[in-house]
Amino acid sequence: MSSEQEKLIAELIEKGLAGDMDSINAIEDRVLRSKVKSGLAKAKRAAKNAAVAAAKESSPEESSAEIMPSDHPNQKFAFMIEEKFPDSLADTLNDTHIQIKPDQWFEIASWLKSEPSLYFDSLQCHTGIDLGENMLEARYNLHSMKHDHKIEIRIAVSRDNAHIPSIEQIWRIGDWFERETYDMFGIFFDGHRDHRRMLLPEDWEGYPLRKDYEVQETYHGIIIPKVKEGWE
Amino acid sequence: MSVDTLFDFLGSIIPAMEGSGLLLVIAILIPCLLLFLVVAVNAIVMVYAERKVAAFMQDRVGPMGQGVGLHAGKWGLLQTVADALKLLTKEDIIPKNADKLLFILAPFMIFIGAFVTIVAVPFGENVIVADFNIGIFYILAMGSLGVIGIILAGWSSNNKWSLYGGMRSAAQIISYEIPAGLSIIIIIMLTGTLSMQGIIQYQAGGMFNWIIFANPFSFIAFFIYFISVVAETNRTPFDIPEAESELVGGFHTEYSGMRWSFFFLSEYANMLVVCAVAAAGFLGGWHSPIPGYFDSNGWGIFWMMSKIVFLIFVMMWFRWTFPRLRVDQLMNICWKVFLPISLINIFGVGIWTLVFG
Amino acid sequence: MGVVHGEEMVLNIGPQHPSTHGVLRLKVKTDGEIISEITPVIGYLHRCFEKHCENMTYDQVIPFTDRCDYLAAMANNFGYVVAVEELMELKVPEKVEYIRVIMAELQRIASHLLALGVYGLDIGAFTPFLFMLRDRERILDMFEMTCGARLLYNYMWVGGVSHDLPKGFVETAFQFLDYFEPQIEEYNKLLTYNKIFIERTADIGVLPQDVAISYGVSGPNLRASGVKWDLRRNDTYSIYEKFDFDVCIGDGGQGTLGDCWDRYYVRMLEVKESVKILRQALAQMPKDGDVHQALPKKIRPPKGSIYSRTETPRGDLGFYIESDGSPIPTRVKMRSPAFTALSVLGELAGGWMMSDVISILGSLDIVLGEIDR
Repeated sequence: MSSEQEKLIAELIEKGLAGDMDSINAIEDRVLRSKVKSGLAKAKRAAKNAAVAAAKESSPEESSAEIMPSDHPNQKFAFMIEEKFPDSLADTLNDTHIQIKPDQWFEIASWLKSEPSLYFDSLQCHTGIDLGENMLEARYNLHSMKHDHKIEIRIAVSRDNAHIPSIEQIWRIGDWFERETYDMFGIFFDGHRDHRRMLLPEDWEGYPLRKDYEVQETYHGIIIPKVKEGWE
Repeated sequence: MSVDTLFDFLGSIIPAMEGSGLLLVIAILIPCLLLFLVVAVNAIVMVYAERKVAAFMQDRVGPMGQGVGLHAGKWGLLQTVADALKLLTKEDIIPKNADKLLFILAPFMIFIGAFVTIVAVPFGENVIVADFNIGIFYILAMGSLGVIGIILAGWSSNNKWSLYGGMRSAAQIISYEIPAGLSIIIIIMLTGTLSMQGIIQYQAGGMFNWIIFANPFSFIAFFIYFISVVAETNRTPFDIPEAESELVGGFHTEYSGMRWSFFFLSEYANMLVVCAVAAAGFLGGWHSPIPGYFDSNGWGIFWMMSKIVFLIFVMMWFRWTFPRLRVDQLMNICWKVFLPISLINIFGVGIWTLVFG
Repeated sequence: MGVVHGEEMVLNIGPQHPSTHGVLRLKVKTDGEIISEITPVIGYLHRCFEKHCENMTYDQVIPFTDRCDYLAAMANNFGYVVAVEELMELKVPEKVEYIRVIMAELQRIASHLLALGVYGLDIGAFTPFLFMLRDRERILDMFEMTCGARLLYNYMWVGGVSHDLPKGFVETAFQFLDYFEPQIEEYNKLLTYNKIFIERTADIGVLPQDVAISYGVSGPNLRASGVKWDLRRNDTYSIYEKFDFDVCIGDGGQGTLGDCWDRYYVRMLEVKESVKILRQALAQMPKDGDVHQALPKKIRPPKGSIYSRTETPRGDLGFYIESDGSPIPTRVKMRSPAFTALSVLGELAGGWMMSDVISILGSLDIVLGEIDR
């Protein structure tokens, strides 16, 4: 590629970033046009990343300054949790979820259900997730039928010490949900009264939904076919 | 055409053997064979009828076919033949842990219970194998023999479901014998005889002489009797001993092939008998509804059969319309409703005959 | 006179049993006919749906959702595509929304018909079952007409649907509705108000509101307990806010609020409501428009997670999807309504008789494919 062309592309990208797409679309040479477009996309992405990084840098300062949370339930209620149970949040306030530490979870959960202004009477969904880097996470989607608001709570634990207090006595559906998560991810729920596997047989080895799961060789003398052998 | 007349008839055509024991055995065996034929044909016709009635009620056509070939024949007429062939050729499985002797014995017990009762059933003025002087009592007694077979089947299968079915059915059948029996006592009170033919002859002279219309109490008694016998034959809505959706198959869960089909043979034979008793005892037996019309000997069989067939149709109608009762509700109806009403009925009939009789 | 206690017997109802609606095993402790304890054992139909999802692209997951709740495959498709679209912030054309609602409501009728019919079968009535299957068949014919499949459709795609409605569909649908509405009365005559049926279902297996909510019971089962909760109304998605319909709740018409009869009857009422929605949707649907217009070339949702709920015939179907920005989801969790409904069985069925357990189980309307996934 000649340097002249490169210069032209750079110029056009500048124009594109400024909002002038017509001049790019007017290019007759298809190869050149696609090059300009891909360059434009790259530049845009880089700009976005930079903005995100800047936001990340600035966020610790904001949280230390204890700014008031926004109206989003995940922020509003996380703030209330922090007020009621100091040092229980594991992450800053954000719109998507409330990150809390496992140790006080049972107390927080019973408070979330009993506090009249929150009244999260329904545990909508509970799931585990393998974050990689030796971390597992349990996620709870709570919903209040009375007030019609919902939050998502996340509790991250390391694989070596995957213990989270059980909430099956607060929301009864937690019983089966937690058993399933234990079954699939190997997160132990302390205080669960019937802590058994849910879907897999009692003597199954390993936790299938972990990302590094390897199927056991045989099960009761039956050879288990390896994944992706004979299909695809 | 009872055994006695047949014996005399055979003696008259073979004078050399007149009065010998061998002739008596032959005279007994011929009706037996005929009876077995009746039971078998009855089952074949009823299975086909049940299929067609069910289909009719469920808005479908049931077994259908064109001509004779490898399908159910014209209008599905060969369906039952195909069923029978299938059942005959099926593997006969006896569970390893079953009590073998009782397991094999049970279907025959039930079948015998159903089979021997037909002996006393009058199909026409002269068409009865044996007109005992205790005919109706004999039918009641032999009819309850079947329950022993059901308990045996339930117990010997060594299966929890079968046990449930057996116990339920024992409770049910024994309970429902009582209202059925008490209703029949009304017939006996009115007619003063236990003989089936005697009971029917009492009802001669038009449908208003039938026992069902004799007085209000016997009218109620007919319905109590009919509902009770539906329960006795384990038909829906009283089929809790089989209760497919609860007990898988109840007492016959472990049976297969021909052994299993014996249960069905006897169910249909039982239906025939109880409907025949209802027809003979309450609906005038082989008498025409209008006196003098079609009341000859041949028409007797027609009237009797049509009454039986109608009652059987009603039973099928029940089966394809009603859901199933629960076991305690069933017992409640029997002991708290039917039994008191039956007793009042007997009392009422007594008063009625005293006043109007 | 004291209560006589016999020896307890442990009985396995299932995995092969006519009334467990699939391969469910119920471990029950019985004392004669009375059931003292009941433990559902599930997992016999576990097909690793969630693990599969982590190995394929977003659109390849859709056929698998069919196979979860195979009696309401359209509704499952719908729930999944709504979740992915929400994650991608994708807007679908209005015509597609109408088609989806029509399909989902037809599916609701079909699913409820099967649920009601099979419930009759559980109670011992055979004929209503065949009547309802006969009418369900016509709905399946319409599905076949639309996408060629009768049970597992793979019809709804992210951003659209696989085929436009065929010629004459709207007329066929109207014909069906005209035929079908009077049939509901016939079902009521035949089964709903049958004395024996009421005896078997009223006052049996009463599910109180707070227990239902705590167990996450949803859909018709929850509404039968008197909770006016329907995602089509309360957390509306697609274009349900455009339609006029009632959220039916149980009223204890024949016994106690929240009994088996209520759960049965709420489904019957919902069928009527679905007919109402269908009439409106079929009449209002835009005549032309391209159903493939909004199909994305590549389904590559941004990094993030979503929990999205839709109302299937069985209740709140939730999809929790975690995306890392690649075309393959990191995690797909299906929160199935039948799973939560079955979890309440242990609480509901203790102390009842054997036959009642069957009628309670039947009234919950579970599909094992969805429970085990």
